[in-house]
Amino acid sequence: MKFCIATPEKVIYEDDVLSVSLPTMSGEITILPHHIPLVSVIAPGELRLNDREGNHMFAVWGGCVEVAGDTVTILADNAERAQEIDIERAEEARKRAEKEMRETKNRQDVDFAKLQAIIDREMNRIRVGKKYRK
Amino acid sequence: MAVNTKIIKRRIRSVSNTKKITKAMEMVAAAKMRKAVEAALNTRTYAQMARDLLVKLSQSAKMHLPLLAVRPVKKLLVVLITSNRGLCGSFNSMIIKKTAQELADPKNISRQRIQHSHALEPSGDIACDVIGIGKKGSDFAKKMGYRLVASYSQFSDTPNLDDVLPIASLIIDAYTKKQYDKVVVAYTDYKSPILQVAKLRQVLPISEYDLEKMFLELGRGSASSEESHPADTNIQKSEHAPVEYLFEPDKENVLRTILPRLVETQIYQAVLESAASEHSARMLAMRNASDAAGDMIDELTLTFNKARQAGITQEIAEIASGAAASSS
Repeated sequence: MKFCIATPEKVIYEDDVLSVSLPTMSGEITILPHHIPLVSVIAPGELRLNDREGNHMFAVWGGCVEVAGDTVTILADNAERAQEIDIERAEEARKRAEKEMRETKNRQDVDFAKLQAIIDREMNRIRVGKKYRK
Repeated sequence: MAVNTKIIKRRIRSVSNTKKITKAMEMVAAAKMRKAVEAALNTRTYAQMARDLLVKLSQSAKMHLPLLAVRPVKKLLVVLITSNRGLCGSFNSMIIKKTAQELADPKNISRQRIQHSHALEPSGDIACDVIGIGKKGSDFAKKMGYRLVASYSQFSDTPNLDDVLPIASLIIDAYTKKQYDKVVVAYTDYKSPILQVAKLRQVLPISEYDLEKMFLELGRGSASSEESHPADTNIQKSEHAPVEYLFEPDKENVLRTILPRLVETQIYQAVLESAASEHSARMLAMRNASDAAGDMIDELTLTFNKARQAGITQEIAEIASGAAASSS
């Protein structure tokens, strides 16, 4: 089964895989070969791949997945391989966003939504990164 | 004569200083260009896959979402992407000239193409607003009296997607609120280090026809540097047999996620292409300048040597004639 995960900035990973598990808006799903064609929206979380060599883990955040024939394509807003996640920097980014959120009480809702999104994203990265380290 | 050689010498020195500067600028531009081109090529894959998905989804059913709504054009928004700094050859003048040309007669650009043959003609007078990315474009809009909705000039040389998001959400918002009936992006398409083409592309409403055109051209421009992606084989398969997809949670939700992405990606892509073009144009302009400076130095050196030789000859002649006069 062909697998490809891309963000607007670059193609993160591209290979033949045996199975893919990923979080969607309606719960985690696992895609095995010969899955029926599917389009779904991705929820923040971790994505696991199984191929002949073993497991790969990614942190994903937003986007959608498309399964067609024997190809799984993931268009993610944000994705990163677990071993590449810099936990300290993610932690810092989260703290920065949280601090900003506390300090600016009277800003527009949009800014809050954006900050909250950053916090969520960094939390997700930290979680996946930590899980991988263990 | 002595004064003459002095002046020439000073000129040689000043020209060689200029040459050093242009040479350095060429190197800097070359380094930035490599990065920008790489970023532009990386984005093409995602953009292509997103577009494939959209085409496949629209095959199965007609949808009524604000970003797909086609209206007769009354108000037009142009996103004009230029550079912040000059000294990049004809890069800015090319894109500005092209935009000015199209805006001078907005009938053509305001036509809504629905299918390959059909078109929705614009109704009445057309008003044009401009969003400027880069100082030069904003200056142009101000000078020509177009309303400048927003101006962004703090982009780095290799822009991030995060830089582009505010612009995209501004456009999407305005279009959803029906403030504009069509959004066009004016950018410079990077074909190769020596060839860049100024282009205008429709961003909203999202239309299959225009996307197809855009990606056909992208494919042609980068055929040498891009191998076939799984996405490519994907389209061919699906075009032969349209597949019935299972949607989770439902079709509308999926489209709501992917359509804004597509707008973002298109703008991001345009910004990256423009950045790549800008740096290539600057590199080329600076190389020409360095070459010209080199030629000038050669020429001046020749003149200098001639003047020096003439001075020496004259001195000898004077001494000789002086000696001849005193001995006789």
